[in-house]
Amino acid sequence: MRKRPQFYRKGTGMIDATSNNRSNRNGLSRRTALKGIGAAAGLMAGPGFVRYAGAQTSAPIRIGFQAHRTGIGAAYGRWYERTTNAAVKAINAAGGINGRPLEIVVEDDGTDPKRGAEVVEKFANQHKVDLVFGTLFSHVVVGSAPTAGELKMPYYVVSEGYHVASGKLNRYVVQPGITDVRSQVTSMAPWVSSNLGRKATMIFPDYAFGHDHRDFFTAAMKAQGAEVIAQVAIPPTESSFTRYFPQIPRETEVLYHVMVGPAVLTFVKELGEFYGSNRPEIFGFIDSLEAVDMASPGLEFLEGTYFWEGMPRYLQADVGDAERAYRDAVGIDENGASKDDPQDVSTAAHMFGCWETLYVIKAAMEAVDYKGPQDRAKVIEATEAMTEFPAGLEHPQGRKIFNGKIHQCFGHQNISLVKDGRLEVIHRTAIEDGMYQPEADYTSMSF
Amino acid sequence: MALAVRIGRRLSLSWQGGLAASLVMAVSTQPALAHAAERGFVLLLPTGHYRLGGALAVLASFLLLAFVPPRALAEQARRALVVGRCRADGRVTASLLAFLWLVFLILTGWFGSPDPLSNPLPLFFWSIFWIGLTIAQGLIGNLWAWLNPWTSPHSLFVRATGWRTPFAWALNRLGYWPALAGFFAFAWFELVYPAPDDPRRLALVVGTYWLFTFFAMLVFGPKWLARGECISVFLSFVSRMAPLACDTGRATGTTLSLRWPGARLVEKGLPFSGALFVLFALAAVSFDGLMHTFTWFGLNGLNPLEFPGRSAVIGVNSIGLLVFFTLLAVVFFLAVDVGERLAGGTVSTAEAAGRLVLTLVPIALAYHFAHYLGALLVSGQYALAAISDPFATGLDLFGTADMPIVAAVTSGADAAWIVWNLQAAAIVAGHILAVAVAHVAAYERERDARHAVVSQLPLALLMVAYTVFGLWLLSTPSVA
Repeated sequence: MRKRPQFYRKGTGMIDATSNNRSNRNGLSRRTALKGIGAAAGLMAGPGFVRYAGAQTSAPIRIGFQAHRTGIGAAYGRWYERTTNAAVKAINAAGGINGRPLEIVVEDDGTDPKRGAEVVEKFANQHKVDLVFGTLFSHVVVGSAPTAGELKMPYYVVSEGYHVASGKLNRYVVQPGITDVRSQVTSMAPWVSSNLGRKATMIFPDYAFGHDHRDFFTAAMKAQGAEVIAQVAIPPTESSFTRYFPQIPRETEVLYHVMVGPAVLTFVKELGEFYGSNRPEIFGFIDSLEAVDMASPGLEFLEGTYFWEGMPRYLQADVGDAERAYRDAVGIDENGASKDDPQDVSTAAHMFGCWETLYVIKAAMEAVDYKGPQDRAKVIEATEAMTEFPAGLEHPQGRKIFNGKIHQCFGHQNISLVKDGRLEVIHRTAIEDGMYQPEADYTSMSF
Repeated sequence: MALAVRIGRRLSLSWQGGLAASLVMAVSTQPALAHAAERGFVLLLPTGHYRLGGALAVLASFLLLAFVPPRALAEQARRALVVGRCRADGRVTASLLAFLWLVFLILTGWFGSPDPLSNPLPLFFWSIFWIGLTIAQGLIGNLWAWLNPWTSPHSLFVRATGWRTPFAWALNRLGYWPALAGFFAFAWFELVYPAPDDPRRLALVVGTYWLFTFFAMLVFGPKWLARGECISVFLSFVSRMAPLACDTGRATGTTLSLRWPGARLVEKGLPFSGALFVLFALAAVSFDGLMHTFTWFGLNGLNPLEFPGRSAVIGVNSIGLLVFFTLLAVVFFLAVDVGERLAGGTVSTAEAAGRLVLTLVPIALAYHFAHYLGALLVSGQYALAAISDPFATGLDLFGTADMPIVAAVTSGADAAWIVWNLQAAAIVAGHILAVAVAHVAAYERERDARHAVVSQLPLALLMVAYTVFGLWLLSTPSVA
């Protein structure tokens, strides 16, 4: 009997390449990436497989996934991991990178900046990965970036923070798979001011996250000739909001909210009690309710209000083939929840960034014919040289423009209406709506 | 407009790799804590009514007990219904298997996946063992007497080498102090240390602790487990509230009997160090809830919405754990002291406290269940998956390696309602049982019904307050 093809996975042992994908009825398990590698290896061993045969080495490309497995980012981290596994599986099934399969090494950073830096160091010295990817929470990115720079380790983050584009990090930190918050907020102003109202009041948590929204949106509204007439800052530890609502001026035409944390449902409920049926237009960032079912009791008041979404959570009527394929690969149903568990609502507005970032990494590595760690700087240079990512299976959220000087991509944003407990996309911004004048140039920094 | 991101220097952290100190900066644009999920829904429930109802239920139980003749209760507490006997004493075999299992888990921790949700060691240690076995001890009985990984290796070693314990006599003098110190270290590692889930570090800690305990048993004898080893001490206290008692002796074999829940908590008192041990056990699990609340963050000037991670709160939470324990101990001893004075008791406060302190065990177990229920339900699934592929080599030993993890089992409005009610029921039931056990314990000491009621007044009030505190911990805004 012919021996079943096997593939050696560095450091972890043998994988049965022929093991079928029995569990993945719908979603993806934590081991899917691993199986993808096995499947790719199976192809490699089979006769007549040309792509891999041409590769000089078949050793896997190891990517360190700095994951929020524990700590406050764990709910996001779970979906980042699922999306990552789905992308790795798809990439490996199509031949990997330069004929080499992708292997993901997961390390938990505890959503903790200090541990984040330790994890990057571990990836470099212990796991010997080719690059590091996947970080979401901004403080972990900012805490880990100096280490990535010191170790000359490419660090592809998916955090939507403005810190990359601001120029405050270093040449090894790139954010090509998700737009930054400045761009997101700025791009909302044209539509909001033309369709919901020209006099806006903002309610936001009183710390950096809320302040960014306050500053970027206020400036963007002004640029539209509209006005933010009041800014209501809520202390972060607040759990009841009714006493702040009288600060909202009566002439407010649109209320912009970015409340976050466990009390957000209470916020919505109390806002509903405050306004009843006679309310201004309401616009918010889905960050508030990411991973929360919009049809949950208590959220009825949001019916008829609007949200920013990076990528639509609910399956839209006009969904394209690429987006549908992406959703199927990640394993989310028409409500954006896990196909295995309808209660498990995904972080759809953000997690696509993992998928798209991995495809950018693939393109950059292939562009420089990546051989090993000695080519790390070349990968960064290749990424910097990119200018556009066309929409398609590799970029299911849509076309992106990439600015190599600030290491940041720009893309379309969605504005969705809450209708029957679902989010329905009613406007898609132009990429230009979210463009701003770059304030940095990483390419002038040395490696 | 100047759009420089607001990056302020917050914490200066030293970098262990010899690299220059890196600065962790407080940053803007942190993705929202979308995880409004469970606690967000609980916040919408009428939890204030639950707190009031819980307090009234515990108070009513105390008042009701005042009218029940305590002698009848005490007699009931002594009743044991033997349900099974067998000659065999399987403890050595069971312990050997547990030891081998532990060795296997340590190996997976060291050589397996670095991902704490794929590696069997952190999943089995923190979820199945620490959460699950503790609950099982309280419901079923002292499984740990069979499943601890030391009894068998120690007895085999002694038999093989003829080892004679040099300092067995010293154990009694040590009281429960070593166990208390050990339990503080354990709780600190669990609650404060930045990476208790990291498989390799956990493997190192567990392996070292196993060796330490093994040597302590060689030095002080096997009784070290009953007095000096914190996990065994804690689990044996917890098992005393179980309705099932399993007594095993070399001569008598194994006897299985049914008891009233909590009945064995009144059997014997504890020395001062033992009383502190029980108080610390309750303090640790309570502090685990407290340190995640927005209130705690606010008290310490931290923003819960941009929690800087465990490594930033090591000092605050280390001190917090100690202070909380001290406060609880002071309040408990005061309550006992005032009660004794009111009732004109004849024993010292320390002795009375030693008798009464085990009545806190049901509360500690109720907190344990309530706080860790969600974690057990989710991590338990990860554990099942991980054990099929223990070294992350692609194996699927039990067909569970690719099972879909229902991570949202506690999410959503319906689940939050169910979980909250289970938690509230556990907290209230734990306190009611504690009140009842304290009543019997007080009577057993003085054999005086009036004394039993009067001496318990301050303690009953403490338990009412602790019920409210416990329900508040589970319903106040907190960081996941």
